[in-house]
Amino acid sequence: MHQVKAANSSQEPSLLEYDVVVIGAGLGGLSAALKLAAEGAKVLLLEQHNLPGGFATSFVRGRFEFEVSLHELSDVGPPDNKGAVRRFLEDEVGVQVEFLPVPEAYHLILPEAGLNIKIPFGVEPFIETIAGAVPGSREPLARYMEVCREVSRALSFIGRSGGKPDPAVLLERYPAFVTTAGYTVAEVTAKFGLPEKALQMIYPYWSYMGVPVSRMSFTLFAVMLYSYISKGAYIPRFTSHGLAAAMDASIRELGGETCYNTRVSKILVEGGKVVAVETEGGEHIKARAVVANLSPHLVYGRLVHPREAVPERAARLLNARRVGTSALVVYLGLDATPEALNLDSYGYFIGPSMDTEQAYANFCRFEPPQMQAVICLNRANPECSPPGTTILSATSLVGPEAWREVRPEQYYDVKNQMAGAMVRQLEEYLNAPIRDHIEEIEVAAPQTFARYTGAYKGVIYGYEQDPWDSIVARSMATGSERLIKGLEFAGGFAFMGHGYAPSIISGRAAALAVLHHLGGSAGREA
Amino acid sequence: MEINGMEQDLARMMELTSLRAQKIEAAPATLDLSDPVQELVQRLHPEKITLRLEAIKDETSDTRTYRFTAAEGSGLPFFRAGQYLSVKMEVEGKRVARPYSISSAPSDWPGFLELTVRRKAGGFVSEQIWRQWQAGSLVEASGPHGNFYFEPLRDSRQIVAIAGGSGVTPFRSMIREIAAGKLDLELLLLYGSRLADEIIFAKELEALAAKAPQKIRVEHVISEPAAGWDGLKGFIDAALIREYAGELSGKSFFVCGPPEMYRFLQEQFAQLGLPRRQIRWELAGAVQDITAEPGYPAGARGRIFQLHLRRRGAEYTVPAAAEESILTALERAGLAPDSQCRSGECGFCRSLLTAGEVYVRPESDGRRAADRRLGFIHPCASYPLSDLSLTTP
Ligand SMILES: Cc1cc2nc3c(=O)[nH]c(=O)nc-3n(C[C@H](O)[C@H](O)[C@H](O)COP(=O)(O)OP(=O)(O)OC[C@H]3O[C@@H](n4cnc5c(N)ncnc54)[C@H](O)[C@@H]3O)c2cc1C
Ligand code: FES
Repeated sequence: MHQVKAANSSQEPSLLEYDVVVIGAGLGGLSAALKLAAEGAKVLLLEQHNLPGGFATSFVRGRFEFEVSLHELSDVGPPDNKGAVRRFLEDEVGVQVEFLPVPEAYHLILPEAGLNIKIPFGVEPFIETIAGAVPGSREPLARYMEVCREVSRALSFIGRSGGKPDPAVLLERYPAFVTTAGYTVAEVTAKFGLPEKALQMIYPYWSYMGVPVSRMSFTLFAVMLYSYISKGAYIPRFTSHGLAAAMDASIRELGGETCYNTRVSKILVEGGKVVAVETEGGEHIKARAVVANLSPHLVYGRLVHPREAVPERAARLLNARRVGTSALVVYLGLDATPEALNLDSYGYFIGPSMDTEQAYANFCRFEPPQMQAVICLNRANPECSPPGTTILSATSLVGPEAWREVRPEQYYDVKNQMAGAMVRQLEEYLNAPIRDHIEEIEVAAPQTFARYTGAYKGVIYGYEQDPWDSIVARSMATGSERLIKGLEFAGGFAFMGHGYAPSIISGRAAALAVLHHLGGSAGREA
Repeated sequence: MEINGMEQDLARMMELTSLRAQKIEAAPATLDLSDPVQELVQRLHPEKITLRLEAIKDETSDTRTYRFTAAEGSGLPFFRAGQYLSVKMEVEGKRVARPYSISSAPSDWPGFLELTVRRKAGGFVSEQIWRQWQAGSLVEASGPHGNFYFEPLRDSRQIVAIAGGSGVTPFRSMIREIAAGKLDLELLLLYGSRLADEIIFAKELEALAAKAPQKIRVEHVISEPAAGWDGLKGFIDAALIREYAGELSGKSFFVCGPPEMYRFLQEQFAQLGLPRRQIRWELAGAVQDITAEPGYPAGARGRIFQLHLRRRGAEYTVPAAAEESILTALERAGLAPDSQCRSGECGFCRSLLTAGEVYVRPESDGRRAADRRLGFIHPCASYPLSDLSLTTP
């Protein structure tokens, strides 16, 4: 008969006491656990799903493997000019991932504005291309990009200074950072006298932030624009699941532990300090610190225990913030080549116009999208699908509030109508005969993201970054907003905001803060 | 670069802190956690589904339809015609899961939900279902799962449905939905059974087709007909499909039946020159005899291997027969991870193989590319070829 020999079966996970428990194996949590393990801390990563990655994942349908969320990763850079993400992964924590370059910045198609243009990476080519299409824009655009460069440099400097830069140095070396930090994108950009048409060509990345330019922090936009344009963008060869799975493997190689299918139900706090976590299965795991790779809304609202341990300030802070948007994504596996489908670029931004206000207002309605971000994966990774096929995905932003009135039996119709409007727009704007070639299709709505990741409101974009809640304002407030000792946040809801690179960097930063909290003595002393 | 003069610009930056403080002060002190998205998720995919068995109907000598309502405190999930539930059971003290298509229609929701179960001789779970489920029984499940449903952007509204045996269940759901006027399709069902007596839903399908003759047609095909059967005989092959389905271009084919039928139909579809995008295959479950697969390596057949398992910090050793999936070996030992599709596709049983070799049928290798390279397997679709070391979540 079955001989079942149980070793220490009463213990799950293998120890019940750790220096640090990381909750959530999204990119933020994975990065934090990596850094902590690399620094010798005894770390346990707990994830409710059966996979690492959170949004950074893929799924298989028929003969296609679809990338769920990644359009392009910033801050990777080529091997001979590594960006912060590549330096961290390869040099600091030894994660093996093969990256492929994205061929161009974006292909912009705005029929109402009469625009159909491919914008390249590289600061010079970027300026050249826009100046070539819009007379009179070269000089102001060059100045604009110079300001963006200075802002990016300043932010790296602030990062290197551990968030406490010398104000005098900041003002002397990076004055453009200081003079623009309090303003929105629209306020700063207006000063350059760029023609309307040039603005339309510069703004598309706004859809990676989901806040209209009239409210978006200029710092945030400048850093994003400059990073992409100057360093290019990359994707992992085996989808973002390949990245997440490699990070998970490295954590274990570094001596950290990872535990899946395990949902944390409580963060226990005593005397204003984290002391342990409890899982849904009833395991009580002691921890001197916790890194939460989930939204402060869920941490303060549901996990921190006892409830009285949640400071009133936490509730006020979260109520003051605006929770970002979610998305509707159509994934298509097509049985024709990209050439036959007339898809000659990797990334498209398409929509009737580049009116970010109108597009933002549209998030809350079920209407044809004002802006879609479209990816033809084969153009960066020709081997991503079998010969003769194409993987195409289209994303439009939709907010959580639109779903209040939707009943279960209406949900699939609502989702399919939106998807239908998106596909029709794709066919029209890209002149691509998509519907004749759909072999596989999947439509993900905010509910889909919420279901798999547990994300609050299915949000994919953290908290909105108006100037008062921008990375700058958040950094200035870090000290006063660390409300429970030993509790740090990583990922899209943390101080840097969402996105692959910011989540990774924020995970690393959370690890450093935790190590500091532990007194720098987290090493595996006997 | 100055925006409104250095002094004012500096002030704007310094004011970020006070502006932030003001916003925080002005905000309410009770955290607003309302979440319309998660609320809908909980109704579409309740965390835990507990069904209460209301009634049992005998369909054939080895098939029954079980009608459920939601047990107290549980939701009855909405679903799309063609999806399945993963039924969770305890058999001989071991937790196991089996997929069953929902045979009732979405338009029957939220009144009731039905599963139609064919008893499989020697089956670990279906035999127990047969013995144990009675009116009043509480049944645990997860779902709805699966992608075998009409998708308006991809599929034609003219459907040719091909069923084998208990594979008719998702089509009963679709046909009821069409008859209820909730799904605007024309559906021809070609339904293969071994014997006329084994046809499930025979009368009901006839009645539904009579109710909407322009929309629903049903043809039975019997492979081992008894004397007196005057309907179609043999297998559903290219010639039969061509004869009954008429013009094939512009139609979508939905197939649900045992894996053995899929292999046969694949050849038939190739003869008909149908592109893949016109054909949807429901998950096939496990093949009857893995060792008979064309690519199965010689030498493993009949052997019993040692499976070393690491699971949440504990270690076990269990026997694993070459003929059984690794998931089955783990189920026998009461150590199986939760599963959904049991067909290699959903990835829910994903586990890390740290030593040893397994056989995976190419048709049921639903792994992600990175997982294949990193040594992950889907135990429900992997068969041992040597002693193994495995880590399950
Ligand atoms: C998506 C999908 C939808 C389906 N829908 C339907 C449906 O609507 N109606 C329907 O009737 N069927 C349906 N099926 C098929 C149904 O799931 C199988 O018939 C069912 O799983 C059989 O289960 P079983 O436990 O009776 O047989 P299994 O136990 O799975 O049979 C396999 C063999 O392994 C042995 N075995 C397996 N596990 C153990 C164990 N733990 N201990 C000892 N021995 C074991 C058994 O002895 C048996 O010989 C569906 C399948 C899929 C994939
Ligand atoms: S249960 Fe779906 S892959 Fe194994």
